[in-house]
Amino acid sequence: MTDLARIAKIPNVASAVLGDLTGGFYDAIREGDGESVAAVTGFISTSISQAGEQLGLGALGRVSLAGATRACIIAIDGGTVVTISVAPPGSVLAVERALDTTPGVRG
Amino acid sequence: MDAILQTLMDLGGVTAAMVFDSTGQLIGHRGHSIYDRSLCEQVSGALVRAIDAVQLQQEDWETVTAQFQDGRLLLRKVGATGGRTQILAVVADGSLNTSFATVAIRVAAGKLRRLFEGGSASSPGGGSSPGLGSSSHLGSSSPAGQSGPLSDSRPVLANSGLSWSKTSNIGLSRVQVADAAAGAFLSRCTKALANAVGPIAKVYVEEAVRRVALEAPFAMSMAVPLLDDLANQIEDVDDRKLFKATVAKGQ
Repeated sequence: MTDLARIAKIPNVASAVLGDLTGGFYDAIREGDGESVAAVTGFISTSISQAGEQLGLGALGRVSLAGATRACIIAIDGGTVVTISVAPPGSVLAVERALDTTPGVRG
Repeated sequence: MDAILQTLMDLGGVTAAMVFDSTGQLIGHRGHSIYDRSLCEQVSGALVRAIDAVQLQQEDWETVTAQFQDGRLLLRKVGATGGRTQILAVVADGSLNTSFATVAIRVAAGKLRRLFEGGSASSPGGGSSPGLGSSSHLGSSSPAGQSGPLSDSRPVLANSGLSWSKTSNIGLSRVQVADAAAGAFLSRCTKALANAVGPIAKVYVEEAVRRVALEAPFAMSMAVPLLDDLANQIEDVDDRKLFKATVAKGQ
């Protein structure tokens, strides 16, 4: 089971949303519209998984989106999707490293 | 474009590199033999759906990195011209040095952006899909075909008032023509080619002129080799015949 509270404590994590690959929403921390976030990231994960299957890359583990002002990490574990908003965007790698040591969200 | 994509292919672990736009149109690709055009077109379709959703999540996205069990997929926004966004995608196996690749992809995206911006400037009518595809991709093998995303912008190109000046052309072009007849012939070739490949036709014509005329101004004496050069690059036989017939009809 993903420990959302533990993820939210990682430095530079602005918010965290727990959902699934179908876009279902389970829980959120510091995110007011978790339903929308879960729906969008569920769709993103599914579409990228599909591209990965076509390319023979195997199962999708993690997706990171980066922009000028913020970044987002989508960690997929089985059917579970955790969306982690990161600010500033330069700290994505540090957050990813922290996730690697956080049980249940390795992606 | 081939040269830019090839620099990415030269990176250790990279198995394919492709450029597509926000309509899913594959603009260019390089890759190991299994990553053929058909597969890349399929993949760009799925990636466009993902990117449409990414825009909802994060409008200012610049990069997307996907980590799979057996490899990675790296996407970078190249630019937005002609109402479409161009995206560079790099497929790699687990041996990719991500930090090194990130720098190379950034450089490649910058070069591609300049290329597209140049292509955009060469279509004064606007609304077209600019870009410079690999000449080996010239043709209508896209599943979108005649009714695909390009078809919307074809009439714009056809009415865009293409001109080939005696000194130099607009935007990307460095093509020079010997006289008005040669300029009119190039315009005719471009419009005919646009039926098969869409607004990118002008870029293909410019490339072909450079191959045929080298540094000299293009003259009507070079019309036949130019026509052959362009025709030989159209993969679809029917499109090739149509192209030749359309240009011949205008003569």
